[in-house]
Amino acid sequence: MRKSILRRSGQTPDIPTASTADVAFLLILFFMVTTVFRATALNLSIRLPEAKSTQRILIRHLTAYIWADATGRIYIDDNLVPIEMVNPKISQKIWGKPDLLTILNIDQNLSYGTIDRLLDQLKQARAYRITFATRFKGER
Amino acid sequence: MLWKGQEKTKPNIPTASMGDIAFLIIIFFMTSTVFTRDKGIKMLLPEKTDLEAIVKVVPENIVMITINPSGEINVKSSNLDRYLTSQQYDLVREIIEAKLRERDTLLVVSVRTSPDAPYRCMIGILDQIKLARVRVADGREVEANKISLIPIQEQP
Repeated sequence: MRKSILRRSGQTPDIPTASTADVAFLLILFFMVTTVFRATALNLSIRLPEAKSTQRILIRHLTAYIWADATGRIYIDDNLVPIEMVNPKISQKIWGKPDLLTILNIDQNLSYGTIDRLLDQLKQARAYRITFATRFKGER
Repeated sequence: MLWKGQEKTKPNIPTASMGDIAFLIIIFFMTSTVFTRDKGIKMLLPEKTDLEAIVKVVPENIVMITINPSGEINVKSSNLDRYLTSQQYDLVREIIEAKLRERDTLLVVSVRTSPDAPYRCMIGILDQIKLARVRVADGREVEANKISLIPIQEQP
C-alpha cells in the first residue's frame, strides 16, 4: 500500500533539515546565557562544613565571594588579602549595590576568632547580607 | 557587466555547513559550562550601632548557647542549663522548638563561640537553630529568626 503511494507520487522521502541551524543556534544562545566560567581559587583546599538546613542560592548576580582556608588565609577574587583589607575590598564591591550578597566559603576547621574578625570587617563595609557556604549533609 | 552569451548567475552563500558550525559551538559551550551551585546558610548581620541604640531583651526570651574550644556546648535560658557534647547537637533543635512554643517570635538565640572553637561547631549549632520550626496554636509556622553571633571575649 505504502509502496504504491510512493510510486504514485514519484517522490523520495526526506527529512527537512532547513531548521537545524535555527535549533542549533537556539541551543548556543541557551548555553551562552547560562555559562559561568569558573572564577574561583582552584588551588585552595577548602572543606566546607555540613549542614542540613543548606539552601540553594538562586541569586547569581550581586554576589561577592570570600574564601578562607584552614590556616586563615583569606582570598577575594583570587587574591590573597590581609584580613584588615577585607573592608576596603568589599566596600568597593558594595558601592552602589547595597543588596550585595557575600558568600563566605570558609574551611570547616578554621578557628572562630578569625571568622569573627572577618564578620566585623563585613559589618564595617556594610555588607550585612551574608551566606555561610555549606555542603548538604552527606554530600562529598 | 555581462559579455555577450554569458549567463546571468545569482550569487549565493553556501549554508550547508551552518548546522555543523553551530553544533561545534554547542559542544564547546557544553564542555566549558559550569553551572554554579552556590548553597549555604543565609544570615543578616546586625548594623554597627552606638551603645544607646542597643535594645534590651527580657531574659526569659533569650536562649544562650556557648561553644567551648572542644565543641562542647552549654545551653542556658531562664529555666534551663544544660551541657551537651559535640555528638548531641541534635538536641539543640528540640530545645529551641520548645522555647519557640513558649516564646513565639520573641525568642532570641545568642550563639557565643570561643575564638578557638572550629567553625564547623558554630555552623553545626546554627544549622540546628535554622532547622527548628514549630506550628503555633493559631496555625502560624514560627522559626527562630533572631540569632546573634557573639564571640566569647578572652579573659585579660
